[in-house]
Amino acid sequence: MTDRQQRIQTLYEISLSIGSKRTLAETADDALLGYLQKLNCSVGAIYRHRSTAERVDYETIATIPAIPESNNTLQAAFGALPDANGPIGEQLPISGRSEEGAHFCLFELPGFGVLALGKHGGRVDEITRSALRPLNQKLAEACRSKLIETQHRIERNRFEAVFDAIPEPVVSTVVDDDGIERVKHINTPFEETFGYSAAAAHGRPIGALITPVVTDGSHSDATVDRSDESETFATADGAAEFLARKVAVDGCESDEYIHLYVDISEQKQHQHELERYERLVENLPIGVYRTTPGTDGEFRLVNQGLVDILEAETASDFESVAVSELYVGATERKQFSDLLVEQGSVDGIELELQTLKGNPIWASVTGRAVQENGETVFELALQDVTERKERQQQLAVLNRVLRHNLRNAMNVIKGNTRLLSEAVETGFEPHINAIEQRVESLEQLSNKAGTMRSLFDQGREVTATVEMSSLLAELKADFESSYPEATLVVEAFGPVSVQADVRLKMALDELLDNAVVHNDSLKPVVTVSVSPSTAKSPDRWVDITISDDGPGIPAEEWQTIETGEETPLQHGTGLGLWLVYWTVSLLGGTIELSAVDSGSQVVLTLPRAPTAHSAD
Amino acid sequence: MTVTSTVVPSEDLHETLVSTAASKSTDGIVLLATPDEALLTDAFESTLQSLSVPVFGGIFPEIIHDGINTDSGALVVGLSTEPAVTTVEGLSDSDTAFREALDPRLPAKGYETAFVFVDAYSKQIEQFIEALFRTYSVELSVIGGGAGTLGDERMPCLITNDGVIGDAAVIAALHAPTTVGVNHGYREIAGPFRVTDAEGSTLHTLDGRPAFEQYGEVLERHVGGTVTPETFFEVAKSYPFGISRLDGEQLVRDPFAVDDGSMSCFGNVPEGEFLSVLTGDADSLVEATRTAAGHAASGAVVPETLLFFDCISRVLYLEDDFDRELAAVTSHGLPVVGALTIGEIGNDGAGHLDYYNKTAVVGAIGDV
Repeated sequence: MTDRQQRIQTLYEISLSIGSKRTLAETADDALLGYLQKLNCSVGAIYRHRSTAERVDYETIATIPAIPESNNTLQAAFGALPDANGPIGEQLPISGRSEEGAHFCLFELPGFGVLALGKHGGRVDEITRSALRPLNQKLAEACRSKLIETQHRIERNRFEAVFDAIPEPVVSTVVDDDGIERVKHINTPFEETFGYSAAAAHGRPIGALITPVVTDGSHSDATVDRSDESETFATADGAAEFLARKVAVDGCESDEYIHLYVDISEQKQHQHELERYERLVENLPIGVYRTTPGTDGEFRLVNQGLVDILEAETASDFESVAVSELYVGATERKQFSDLLVEQGSVDGIELELQTLKGNPIWASVTGRAVQENGETVFELALQDVTERKERQQQLAVLNRVLRHNLRNAMNVIKGNTRLLSEAVETGFEPHINAIEQRVESLEQLSNKAGTMRSLFDQGREVTATVEMSSLLAELKADFESSYPEATLVVEAFGPVSVQADVRLKMALDELLDNAVVHNDSLKPVVTVSVSPSTAKSPDRWVDITISDDGPGIPAEEWQTIETGEETPLQHGTGLGLWLVYWTVSLLGGTIELSAVDSGSQVVLTLPRAPTAHSAD
Repeated sequence: MTVTSTVVPSEDLHETLVSTAASKSTDGIVLLATPDEALLTDAFESTLQSLSVPVFGGIFPEIIHDGINTDSGALVVGLSTEPAVTTVEGLSDSDTAFREALDPRLPAKGYETAFVFVDAYSKQIEQFIEALFRTYSVELSVIGGGAGTLGDERMPCLITNDGVIGDAAVIAALHAPTTVGVNHGYREIAGPFRVTDAEGSTLHTLDGRPAFEQYGEVLERHVGGTVTPETFFEVAKSYPFGISRLDGEQLVRDPFAVDDGSMSCFGNVPEGEFLSVLTGDADSLVEATRTAAGHAASGAVVPETLLFFDCISRVLYLEDDFDRELAAVTSHGLPVVGALTIGEIGNDGAGHLDYYNKTAVVGAIGDV
């Protein structure tokens, strides 16, 4: 056999070792072994020319021996590799010798890297080196395709890892020859949500797995991309609302798609709740709004309530209005803003404002300062209290009239009546007495008006407690002093205190006075008892019952108190019952009026003060 | 490295092994034995297990000692350097991860020579040798061969401190350097023929024709008569196959059986590759051995002992001329120890490591 024949045969046999194996390393390793066997070489290596963003270098893919660092021939070959930053093909092939005299050759593997072959005691001749070029080309192609295949597999594995890690149901499908989109792969959330195992789902039409629930007569199709519309689909647990996305997979030989189903049932529920809440806020008769702090301030958000209160046309009217423009006082806006920033919140601050049309209003403002996206924002609620404010002003005027002007007038009438009684002849005493009695009655009315004002001045806050046996003992002493002909019976009861203050004594005084004054008996008898509440929780409430033997409270007086308002046709004769009613209300209690056979009975129910004892 | 060697009958083997192991100058033992039932007894296993130094070797058709080959007794070789012995079992199992069983850092640890003995009848010998080459290349000088007997009965044939085992390989690495010569002396007379159908070591067709038909035609042209399956074995010992390598002696593949047109060889015959038909004569074979011994003895290593592993088929072919072959090795005036093997393993330090047939492998082992 000639050398040429043997060379051709050798090259052919080397080519048998070049081909795709399981991995790039195996592909390179098997081919390298083929080169060494057939060329009778002792060492070899395959290097990949690698270019990354950081650097350009050589990566060792396969070597014989396994540890090349201790082999001088391979070290010499590695040292002779062309500069990785340049066009390596132009510099190859390269041959050389190690310090021990072993011969090595470096061959280009086009588009992949370099093949190194080393031989002790001989060399690969030049003709063979030239003849190796097509084999090297074949090896380079095998390595390149394996590399690409490996990269694809890595990408595929990465994709599958992502696929399985997505917390939402995902399914990949492929369109078969009949145009039917069939399931290829599903992830675990899909199995759990729709109740199909991977094996059960595989190969089935997607439309058979995802079945829409028709709720309004419209037709749904699970296989159609509906990027923004939600759909209701049957699930393993019933049905749920999904946002369905369908994406075509590029680069596939067949039509392949990825379907993603985002369960938005919960979000929809939240959205509906939010919409209801927004409607609620929008329709509130109070203004709800957000502003920025500062001397001027900007409106950020306003509800319809504020639009109405401040006489705007639409919410957008506030876009061009500074908050300070609503304030009547020039400095009040800044004071309010500073206070809110300093305190963090305000509760019921009354401000004199003006509407966008310039009409004055009084407003009670409650709100807080919050941090949002690194800036301070005020969240506020505004209530129009103009009417209450004006009524308070009216009441103040009327009170002044009652207590000051009327009393002064009564003093004048009283003095003149006294002078008149001294000057007129006898026989007019009954008329003069009548004038004096009415004047005295008016004075008492004036005093009660003053008393009632003091009632309200103290407000609803009650921090004191009243020990009932002491209070009733005091009332009994006063009663017996004022009405010696009458009898006050205090029924025995155990130690008990109620949450109340001096206003309770005023109310009970009024009730005891009424029981005697309006009693037609010569010797009126009034009974007071204290007991655990019968109408409310006895552990928390105490009943104070005042009974008399009089004619009973007139029905119109009773009705006025029960309805809570006086009209020209329905009104009481005085302030007494109102004083009792308001006192008990301000103390947090209730009042019940009832007629009994022997007269009338009033039950005051008040909160029990926390003590170690009970009324039982 | 100092090598002491003694041939002893099996009845004296226990005592010799124990005394050699006890010698202060012995850090390891190579035991090359001829077939003997005594080697497969529990008593002998106990002897191996009791030795205080590593022992390795094999049971071969014949052993060689100081210019003589013999088919009886055992050769005990004491080594003055401790070998690192690795046993790879499952040599017929295609799933055995041979490369993982080998320590690639042996060269880095200073080991320069490896004795390698395999069970000649294991089915994955080529794959194992390939793993050796992939791992060590020529970083280790490899010398050894296939152990076993020529009879039909298969028996354990590899010696370790654990006992005598089969279907395995034993690798014993030494710090001593060795120069190895590998030659066979056969030359191409016909071919190449493309291996168009083969399975492992069984050759079905050559150039699309039944292998024995193709082979017979070649031999008829050279021998001048018809070759039949009955006369095949007698003729084939002179006409092995060769697998070519560029710039190297052909790799001999020895056919040993014919069955329905297919031929079985010692060693794999890869499908797609090319085979030639080789032949040789006593002179060429002896000359090849002389070349191998010369290469070994003239290496960079200063030799102290020659290791000679020669194919048993060469004895059968050379017959009386085998003395000339032995003389070609002993002519260098150095002690010679070795065995006649069923398949040879050697790395001449220049090229590829292979599993050979009908080949003489001579190693010159030097001082540490």
